[in-house]
Amino acid sequence: MDLIINIVLGGLLIGGIYSLISMGLSLQYGVAKVLNIAHGEFLMVGAFITYWLQQNGVDPLLTIVVGGPLLFLVGFILYRTVFTSIRLKAPNTGVYESNSLLAAFGLYFIVQNIAVLIWGTTPQRFSYLASSVTILGEDFNENRLVATAFAVAIGAAFYLFLERTRIGKAIRAAAQDPLTAGLMGVDINFVLALCFGFGAAMAGLAGVLISICYPITTTMGLGYTVIAIVVVTLGGLGSIPGSFIGGFILGIIGTGVTYWEPGLAVASYYVIFIILLLVRPKGIMGK
Amino acid sequence: MLEINNINAFYGRIQILWDVSLKVNEGEIVALIGANGAGKSTLINTVTGLLRSTSGSMTFMGKRIDRLAPHVISELGMSHIPEGRKLFTEMSVRENLELGAYPKSAWKTKKETQEHVYEIFPRLKEREKQLARTLSGGEQQMLAMGRGLMSKPKLCIIDEPSNGLAPLVVLEVFKIIQSLRDQGITILLIEQNVRHTLEISDRAYVLENGRIVMEGDCATCLASEHIKKAYLGL
Repeated sequence: MDLIINIVLGGLLIGGIYSLISMGLSLQYGVAKVLNIAHGEFLMVGAFITYWLQQNGVDPLLTIVVGGPLLFLVGFILYRTVFTSIRLKAPNTGVYESNSLLAAFGLYFIVQNIAVLIWGTTPQRFSYLASSVTILGEDFNENRLVATAFAVAIGAAFYLFLERTRIGKAIRAAAQDPLTAGLMGVDINFVLALCFGFGAAMAGLAGVLISICYPITTTMGLGYTVIAIVVVTLGGLGSIPGSFIGGFILGIIGTGVTYWEPGLAVASYYVIFIILLLVRPKGIMGK
Repeated sequence: MLEINNINAFYGRIQILWDVSLKVNEGEIVALIGANGAGKSTLINTVTGLLRSTSGSMTFMGKRIDRLAPHVISELGMSHIPEGRKLFTEMSVRENLELGAYPKSAWKTKKETQEHVYEIFPRLKEREKQLARTLSGGEQQMLAMGRGLMSKPKLCIIDEPSNGLAPLVVLEVFKIIQSLRDQGITILLIEQNVRHTLEISDRAYVLENGRIVMEGDCATCLASEHIKKAYLGL
């Protein structure tokens, strides 16, 4: 029983971060149709910005205010320059999706190589809110609770933004039918760039939250990209609530498998991924 | 209000429109009729900015629109109610209407416009919170039209509104189109249902193989031997 509580709580405490990265990828892949292999690199950059600022005396949680908007801008500009031209030059969406996947691969190597040049490959860590808290008889670090709370708050705020605001509704409309959204007067290139920017910002924010809990390395990005791809498939492509819930589900499964055999965690993600593709390719919340 | 002068348009290397000219005056219902594949959709896509014409010119409200993006043209006051409704099926009736009011100027007054749309289509108010995909075909057409009105357009392009609807519902739709004109909205109506269309329109253009082969007031068109034979099956 204790073991189950431990696994579920531990899973929920990492799940919030998975949710955040996956909501980001869901925007980039589900709406903007870019399978962004470099998604985890934005996370890594967010984590290292936090590390660097922390070394210079800035409170790590404050970097949310810097890291989020900064990575949003990078993502937005990147879409407006690279991916918009790919989209406009592609004769159909299939070509656009495969070409932008290739571009994202390039981005992955570029960002990672630069990061390795600057920060090297040794894992870095700093101590922040490291005292332990007892929940249901299990001990957890305070920083993991704070990170999860922030992840849930950011996720919920974004959900409300999509449901309630003019731009949010335009994003949801563009996810369903970009051409018709255009008929309504929605500037599609702008909205897709917004989605890509928000996606990058969420990865960056997840990176900030990861850095306050776990050691970080410049090569950690790809693992999180894989997690995000699995969760987005699990939750239903383009479904923000699906990604949110899916993140927690994968967190619990991952924690369970890790307890049993840490070496099989990533393998288990892929098993889930393949089963989903075979049994329910549209995911739990997919339409 | 809308003036199209000698436009030519291509899909890839195939020329679809040949020197098409068309004019819509304020307060009119103008019909555009033609068989499948005559180029009606291409013409509409060119007007709304989805497709670029290779030559010729188009003006709307006195402004050149032939090189403008679709969202810019729609902000000028042109609304396109597309063929096949193209609703956001996973969103509610109300949200579909709200998206129709996406241009900034329309967004500010969307509450009042929505009330006005509900007066024209009371059924939509009853179904306000339902997802668009749960509506019947007729209701979906009403929603598509209501959504098209939410931007407070000066010109409504209504593309095949009777498609797939029961005869009684078709009559209702045509009645509503007439009432929209009476409220001061100019209408360009694209239809396969030629008889009804000519009955409620002021003028008509007939498009065949990408060329305008006939234009004139509807009475003349209805009397024409060519129209009788090719479109009315008489």
